Amino acid sequence: MLEIKNLVSGYGEATVLKELNCTIAPGGVSAIMGRNGMGKTTLLKTIMGLVRAQSGEIFFNAVPIHSLPTHQIAHKKLGYVPQGREVFDKLTVLENLRLSALGSSKENLQLLPQIYEWFPVLQERSSQKAGTLSGGQQQMLAIARTLIGRPEIILLDEPSEGIQPSIVHEIATRLKKIALSTGLTILLVEQNVDMVMTMADHIHFMENGEIRETVGKEELRNSDEKLRTYLSV
Amino acid sequence: MKNNLFIIFTFALLAVMPLILSDYWTGQLNYYLIYGLFALSLSLVWGYGGILCFGQAIFFGIGAYVMAVSTKGMLSPVPANFYLGLSLACMAAAAFAALLGSFLFAGKGINGPYLAIITLAIAMVLERLMSNWYALGGYNGLLDIPPINLGLFSYDLEIWDSRPAFYILWSIVFCITLLLGWLVKSDFGSLLIALRTNPERLTYFGFSPLQIKLKVFCLSAAIAGLAGALFVTLDGFASPTLIGFTLSTEVLIWVALGGKELLIAAFLGAIATRLAENWLSELFGDYWLLILGFLFMVSVVLFPKGLIATPIQAFLKRFNSNKNAA
Amino acid sequence: MDIIIPLVDASSYILILIMIALGLMIVFGMMGVINMAHGELFMIGAYVMVLCQSHNLPFWLGLVLAPIMVAFIGLLIETLLIRHIYQRPLDTILATWGLSIALKQAIVLVFGPEAQSVSAPVDESFSIGDFSYPIYRLFIMAASLFMIIATFWIFLKTDFGLMARAVIARPHTSETLGINTRRIYRWSFVFGTALAGLAGALIAPTISVDPQMGLGYLVPGFLSILVGGTGPLAGVLAGAGAIGGTNSLLSVWVSPVAAQIAVFILAIIIIRMRPSGLLGERDEK
Repeated sequence: MLEIKNLVSGYGEATVLKELNCTIAPGGVSAIMGRNGMGKTTLLKTIMGLVRAQSGEIFFNAVPIHSLPTHQIAHKKLGYVPQGREVFDKLTVLENLRLSALGSSKENLQLLPQIYEWFPVLQERSSQKAGTLSGGQQQMLAIARTLIGRPEIILLDEPSEGIQPSIVHEIATRLKKIALSTGLTILLVEQNVDMVMTMADHIHFMENGEIRETVGKEELRNSDEKLRTYLSV
Repeated sequence: MKNNLFIIFTFALLAVMPLILSDYWTGQLNYYLIYGLFALSLSLVWGYGGILCFGQAIFFGIGAYVMAVSTKGMLSPVPANFYLGLSLACMAAAAFAALLGSFLFAGKGINGPYLAIITLAIAMVLERLMSNWYALGGYNGLLDIPPINLGLFSYDLEIWDSRPAFYILWSIVFCITLLLGWLVKSDFGSLLIALRTNPERLTYFGFSPLQIKLKVFCLSAAIAGLAGALFVTLDGFASPTLIGFTLSTEVLIWVALGGKELLIAAFLGAIATRLAENWLSELFGDYWLLILGFLFMVSVVLFPKGLIATPIQAFLKRFNSNKNAA
Repeated sequence: MDIIIPLVDASSYILILIMIALGLMIVFGMMGVINMAHGELFMIGAYVMVLCQSHNLPFWLGLVLAPIMVAFIGLLIETLLIRHIYQRPLDTILATWGLSIALKQAIVLVFGPEAQSVSAPVDESFSIGDFSYPIYRLFIMAASLFMIIATFWIFLKTDFGLMARAVIARPHTSETLGINTRRIYRWSFVFGTALAGLAGALIAPTISVDPQMGLGYLVPGFLSILVGGTGPLAGVLAGAGAIGGTNSLLSVWVSPVAAQIAVFILAIIIIRMRPSGLLGERDEK
């Protein structure tokens, strides 16, 4: 379980998150939605320690992680798929995957067959440079790279960005399946309504650095008034 | 004004020094004034212009050699004259800076660590070159350079004593410090801040970063050239060490220790380091350089703004907040 | 035959320069740290040999001790100095400059300012026909070639190298994968210093060892990485080849001074014309 209490964070003088509170229950997929600039990416970066919390606390499985360095947060089994994917373009697909095992435990390389089963295209391209993959394939690689570390939760930052809709849907359904079969928790930051509706069980709406409202998927399906309030420009 | 207060206070204090000090120490103080002037030139280009020049002695040395050659009458149709020599020295240094600057900064330009290494390499090349340029004395340098000569036309007024020399140097350095103090507070100073923090923004407003960089680089070179020229009138001797690597790094240490982003701190940094060297090198002997090296490291890590600038700025801050409170 | 000796000399100089430049490059390319004290670490490597000789320790033991001792000093430097200023690359120039002054002076205090000499373990020359060359100099070439290949192997083929290349390209992303970037930085720095120490030890018998010797190798080393480009490691080979080759050959054919001046001017022009170096292609970070 990921618990965030009174989190204040931002860049230098600028505060982006203002006393944010949020609890992500284990298992299932939670989504955070909100317009650009509302602090979604900052929230994920703060959880990973890439941006330092100015005050407040973050607990993962009741362990405080807000003052740990990033690599130790990763060792607590939090996986992170950054915005823009950030695969290592000069390294091969296999090297990208291997790297994640080196960061967690080399034994995790045994997961490779499983990963290839989930994302067969990565096996076909395993010796190619990651920079030569298409956007959707790079996104799969970024997700697969995180999964190699055997995380309990993965934080996904706008995985649909710059990827064609059919592939987005494919990634969404596959991730959902992985989450269901392995008990992995997914925290998804996304603006793509289709992806959220395909995957998420709960949706948190974020505005001005705070979680404003949390709704179940069914509730959202029945009225799109909420979407209009929080997403329309 | 508050910054100028520090400048005026410092120079007032300096002005009474020769009245108290012995001839020897007044003579030393004359050198310190010149080193201080040299430090000002580096503070301007580095602290205000954001150009880390590891070879500032290039310009000091050019000024020194031009002054030496011209006052020794080696540029035969050009008359040997103190004032003419000083202007030639400044102009030669500025011209070389303009040439070098337009080569290095044009286009995408070289900056940051690259510039540091390249200017360092240029200083080393020039030192090698001067050591092997036999017409200019080669390794042994040029001797018997005339002292400060205030005379006009054919009338000579050579200044051999350290006290009158002190007040002449004092006036020159004081004027330049005030001028620079005014300059960095002027519109040009604002452009320099923009150049350091947000060069792309400058172009939107129709300014050319290259032009601003060149201007500050040349001005700094001219001041360094002036310092070099005055130095040889005092020392009577111009050697390849004046253009080279060691002096370049020494001035860097003075300015970094004092505080590159505050003119008067850089100036005092030079004086304080030389003074400390004078005393402590006798006291500690060979350990002095070891201590200086460590001091420099500690100051860079813990007081990146400089050992002298940090307290001055803290003082100014308090002074300001008191005034606002009142 | 007149041309072979200068060519072999040039290759030998280039190989040593590559060892120095590789150390600088690892530290600069990875952490953005310019280590102005790198030349002094090279010098300390040579002084370890002086020390070994004066204690009648075998030469080969010195060659093993030098990189270890210099690596240890590198570890201290990293822990006490460099890691506090990773975020301020320009300040690393100044701080390591202070360190360089202190190290130089420390050596003066211990060994005196005068030049020392280390005698080579073998004096014989190797000759085929008219060609004759000191065996020890051939050994230097072989040893440095071996170390250069080993360095490339470490950075291109091992897991450590994989992590190091990832950290250079995307430090934050590497952290989120659980890689301790600080540790990678530290051991890369130590490795670079060990290379410098070994280079100094190897070359000690062929030059006069004095406290000022570092600078004469530091600046060409830096010019090599600037000329070669800070992108791929292989840039160092091209850079050191260009700088070292020109310098060494012009010294023989013209004069050492003219050679140095020509090399510096050449380097500055290349760097100005191709800011990312001969082989450079800069990664966006």
